[in-house]
Amino acid sequence: MKVQKKMKLFFLFTIIATLLLSACSSSSDTNGEKAEDGKVKLRFATWDVGDDVDLQQKLIDQFNAENSDIEVVLEAYGGDYDTKITAGIGAKDAPDIMYMWNYPQYKDALEPLDSYIEDKGEEYKGNFYEALWNYNAVDGDVYGLPVGYTTHVVYYNKDLFDEKGIEYPKAGWTWKDLQETAKKLTDKDKKITGFAFPGKPDPYDFEMYLWGNGASYVDSKGNLDGNINSKKAIETFTMFQNMLKDEIAITTEGWGDTEFKTNRVGMFINGAWYLEAFKEAGINYGVVEIPSFGDKPSASIVSSSGIAMSKDSKHKEAAFKFMEFWTGEQANKERLSFELPVLKSVVESEKLQEDPIKSVFYSMLEQSEGYNPTSFVTDDWSKLSDDLSLVFEEIFNPSTRVDPKEALNSVIK
Amino acid sequence: MFTKKNKQKKFTLVRKRVPFLFILPWIIGFIVFTLGPLVFSLIMSLFDWPIAGEAKFIGFDNFSTMFTADPQFYDSLWITLKFALIFVPLNLLVALVLALLITQPIKGIKVFRTIFYLPAVVSGVAVSIIWGWMFNSEYGVLNYILSLLGIEGPNWLIDPKWAIVTIVIASAWGVGSMMLIFYTDIKGIPHEMYEAASIDGAGPIRQFISITIPTITPTILFNVITSVIAALQQLTLVLLLTGGGPLKSTYFYGLFVYNNAFKHHELGYASANAWFMFIIILLLTMLIFKSSSAWVFYEAEVKKEKKGGKGK
Repeated sequence: MKVQKKMKLFFLFTIIATLLLSACSSSSDTNGEKAEDGKVKLRFATWDVGDDVDLQQKLIDQFNAENSDIEVVLEAYGGDYDTKITAGIGAKDAPDIMYMWNYPQYKDALEPLDSYIEDKGEEYKGNFYEALWNYNAVDGDVYGLPVGYTTHVVYYNKDLFDEKGIEYPKAGWTWKDLQETAKKLTDKDKKITGFAFPGKPDPYDFEMYLWGNGASYVDSKGNLDGNINSKKAIETFTMFQNMLKDEIAITTEGWGDTEFKTNRVGMFINGAWYLEAFKEAGINYGVVEIPSFGDKPSASIVSSSGIAMSKDSKHKEAAFKFMEFWTGEQANKERLSFELPVLKSVVESEKLQEDPIKSVFYSMLEQSEGYNPTSFVTDDWSKLSDDLSLVFEEIFNPSTRVDPKEALNSVIK
Repeated sequence: MFTKKNKQKKFTLVRKRVPFLFILPWIIGFIVFTLGPLVFSLIMSLFDWPIAGEAKFIGFDNFSTMFTADPQFYDSLWITLKFALIFVPLNLLVALVLALLITQPIKGIKVFRTIFYLPAVVSGVAVSIIWGWMFNSEYGVLNYILSLLGIEGPNWLIDPKWAIVTIVIASAWGVGSMMLIFYTDIKGIPHEMYEAASIDGAGPIRQFISITIPTITPTILFNVITSVIAALQQLTLVLLLTGGGPLKSTYFYGLFVYNNAFKHHELGYASANAWFMFIIILLLTMLIFKSSSAWVFYEAEVKKEKKGGKGK
């Protein structure tokens, strides 16, 4: 009997000890986060990996040296970024400052920044490219400062063009031009195909082709019916499917860069992520604006990155000070090697408009102003995105190739 | 007399407390990292629990949505069961064959033993990436080898019919640990049994069926249970190799739960999903255990029976 009692006590002790331990840890977390030396401590979460993190750490060291009262700590979450941010927000332990792109999903946990930006004046806001504010805001409220962006462009393999004696594509070309070029490039014996696009395109990206044709997934109220299955939308999907049927295009398992790198396809469309990689691989490539449907300029989705502030941050003033630094001219210049600057003044001083490659991304950006991705309009993009993704796959997967009209109508239900 | 008794009591007490002190770190870990989250997720399953914002108590709504309004739930469940049905027997068979191979007294067998076990050491993430390259229909090694044989390989990761096969093949990569368990058990079978059998004229196949298999049935039971659980919880491969595609043909239950939680941010719903899977696994395990009395052979039981027989 006595033994049992002691055992019970022992277990009780264990449980209490554990609870106390966990209680201690959480209370110290909420304790204002002042470092021992009286500095304000800010946690900054990034999704970058490898060399980029080293570069970011260098920039942060510089900020910390310049601001003796603030200490910024970089937390590199890498590939698990969303999971970790999600968990952090859920546990009310989010980093003070976070890299962000999917604002609609996280907006409830973020601090609206409009008043901070207003304090800085019109000129401050005006120096950022206008198209980018749209991507760092939800329903008109700004939640993030733009850090970097990329628009999508057509990459073309100059060697393959030269081999066939085809002229390089120029700005203002149309999808018809692209198809004709692709036809000329395609060489069955050499296993070369003119154009490639992902067999499972990201619905977020794919909407840009609809925009170019005057359609979109939803209207401003978020209605799918009459938009995703509109004549123009179906026409766009049919055009892509027909390119596959005519065998002037292939679908890729990835984004198409592997096929491009190995000289298997002449053209593919994507963001600025490959500039360095292609240069290293020694590929003779060029980029050009996305072709248009004829009557109006083409548009591109903007893959934008910004930084946002946690609503629960204890040191909002300090956090914004750091955000200003992180999006300032100097930081934009430091990131030139892997990020396209978002400040007009930097683009001008670095003469990026004269760069034959980078300038294309900027003209695509200017062309794409005013479009609002469906992910910012609809309430439940993650679900809709899943549904759309499945439908696109049905349209493009060689074992199904469903008629676009039929497939797109099935989303409505 | 009394003092002696007391001393003894004290002695046993001390003896009982010390071991608990030793496992204290584990107990704390268990409560904080296993039991706590377990109970917590059960509570969460009764809530509408978004990541940001307030959780709302909704009773059993999550469960009723799951059963009545989410066709993906049934799809995922079916795909996962299908996977387990292919994966478990195949894995057992491969592990057993490999284990038999590495018990053969051949020169250099240690090298083979290491080679066969090695893949089990590689992390699931690396395995996914490697298989992603191998299965690529355009550039993959697998289709290249097939093309040398004059066979046009399937679009492993694009064709929905083949994708689940792809996952089965890739997960067979982890067969090493199961093989090792079989191996140690087979090694433990007394040699005299085989000798006696061969004197009686039993060939190797007869010996395998009549000696090896019956002796290792407890190990088979163990491996069946662990691999059923592993199959039903498979996530890494589908998450990284196929992402649930093509056309949701590999949208396993694990991925379904993961996406509900971390992509759609419905923590309550995902908890309900997870608990349902827990119950399924529990029932399946119980079922297998129940069935075990019919086919699992314990040496100790036989001895007991024999003793009982003598008593009569």
